[in-house]
Amino acid sequence: MAVRVRGSLARAKEVPRRRPTIIGLRRVLGRDWATAWLFLAPCLVVLVGLIAYPFVSAILLSFQAKLVGSPGVWVGFQNYQELFTGRDLSSQFWQSVRVTAFFTLAADICKLVLGMAMALLLNEQFRGRTFLRALFFLPWAVPSLIVGLTWKWMYDGSAVGLLNMLVLRLGLTHDLIQWLASYDLALWAVVVAVVWASTPFWAMMFLAGLQAIPGELYEAAEIDGADVFGRFRHITLPGLANVMIITALLSTIWTATSINFVYVLTNGGPAGATMTFPMLAYQVGVAGAQRLGMGAAISLVFFPFFLVLIYILTRRMLAGER
Amino acid sequence: MSRSRARLVRRLVHTAGLLFFGVWTILPLYWIVVTSIKPNLLIYREASFFPSQVTGDHFAFVLTRTPFLHYIQNSVAVTLVTTALAMIIGTLAAYAIVRLSFVGRPWVARAVVVTYLVPGSLLFIPMFQVIYSLGLIDNIVGLMVTYLTFTVPFATWMMIGYFRNVPAELEDAALIDGCSRVQALARIMVPIALPALAVVALFAFTLSWNEFLYALVFIGSDSQKTLTLGLIGLVRGDTFPWGPMMAASLMGTLPPTLVYLVSQRWVVSGLAAGSVKG
Repeated sequence: MAVRVRGSLARAKEVPRRRPTIIGLRRVLGRDWATAWLFLAPCLVVLVGLIAYPFVSAILLSFQAKLVGSPGVWVGFQNYQELFTGRDLSSQFWQSVRVTAFFTLAADICKLVLGMAMALLLNEQFRGRTFLRALFFLPWAVPSLIVGLTWKWMYDGSAVGLLNMLVLRLGLTHDLIQWLASYDLALWAVVVAVVWASTPFWAMMFLAGLQAIPGELYEAAEIDGADVFGRFRHITLPGLANVMIITALLSTIWTATSINFVYVLTNGGPAGATMTFPMLAYQVGVAGAQRLGMGAAISLVFFPFFLVLIYILTRRMLAGER
Repeated sequence: MSRSRARLVRRLVHTAGLLFFGVWTILPLYWIVVTSIKPNLLIYREASFFPSQVTGDHFAFVLTRTPFLHYIQNSVAVTLVTTALAMIIGTLAAYAIVRLSFVGRPWVARAVVVTYLVPGSLLFIPMFQVIYSLGLIDNIVGLMVTYLTFTVPFATWMMIGYFRNVPAELEDAALIDGCSRVQALARIMVPIALPALAVVALFAFTLSWNEFLYALVFIGSDSQKTLTLGLIGLVRGDTFPWGPMMAASLMGTLPPTLVYLVSQRWVVSGLAAGSVKG
């Protein structure tokens, strides 16, 4: 369809009668509108068909009682009502809100501190720097599911688990520690695995940011007598502010919505201690009861929060564009 | 005196920091490798940090007694198709957004960024319905399609950033000489943008290879499983056969790791260009 319009555009000279409408269209839709929409078509099919449409259908779904493979029944706000105030589900839901918030915040803070430390260490000149940078960033390339499996094995609650082996041998405790099965430790255990996997991303972002800070600033500060901490506070931190905000927002979105680690390590247990909201949505919507409508509602409740993050990020990421 | 002491302290702190991150990074990786070559006796009975005996049994088991190679094949197929499509679709869209003049251009650019940021795990339930209605449940083609949701916005966004820095004059000359837009894109822009395309390919490959949630929700039968899903399938009931699982994990980690090691210079610059603007 659009191809034909392009062809007629090229022949516009030979067919003077069609000229006014073509010029009119170009005036309204822009000089290259036909080519542009042709080039954009596949991308728009993906954006609209696979992201916007599922999103709208998620909203519709959240107002239905629907099981997999059967037609849905419109129930209005009933799903949301059950989620907020219902008998069984609401306590699970509010627990997942707390767990997700704590999980995301704890992981973000650890990643910030470790990522910053890693980037600062790698930003110095020393022998073997290229090698160590490659090594430290390696976890980034390991599939998160495999990271989860590996940590699950390291956390094994018997004496053959690596971490139990280490704490026993170092004499830190005489009892085996149930890293993943104890209510108080499980969430921290998941946080550590997540931090291991995604600290490299933060470090890469920080390192790129550090290298963009002009070296003269540091030299000038040194001449002025600023010590290491002074230079960090007055040059490094302000220089990295934008990168830090973008990284923190990206990481918050990805961490809060990630399911792989929790799925492998604890499956949400023990007693919901690690039940983040995507895990709950999965269990309610797909795995157990297969209540698709309720599953969609659980994910959607959190969307306004992500919308705010996405809005801020979009503005910052498009700041350089016109 | 105090100056050289300060330098010494600084070096000590630096070395200690590197040591910490070295151990932190290597420990889990070491444990994968060591578990995969330990005989079961040393895994479950006489656990030790350094194995006194080495075996290839777990690798042999995974390769001959499980459909592991088939999983890898599926992962390769899904990854290659998704990556290739994302590169083509992203390049075309980015070119239109950067170089062509049409009404609605800023809105399309914004839509690309927003969709890049919407996390897939918010959409897996309605996505299930879309794939279901397309008849692609339990079919790797369904994965090839859904993986476009995270690779295409990313690829487009990366290419937008790169095309913006290519001077328009290069292309204008070709257009004046009578090149069409398609020719200008293929002969002028794409060759210049090869480094960016490499970054896009690298990230799309890694993201697709590592994906798990969509595979978990859409795929059921062994013949259609990708690597990540197949790994979980090695679990029998509540028993984790750690030897074979770590052997399979090691083999499944190699492709993205090797790709990363070969192109790590681009990874860092790619991340910087892709998400840190200004």
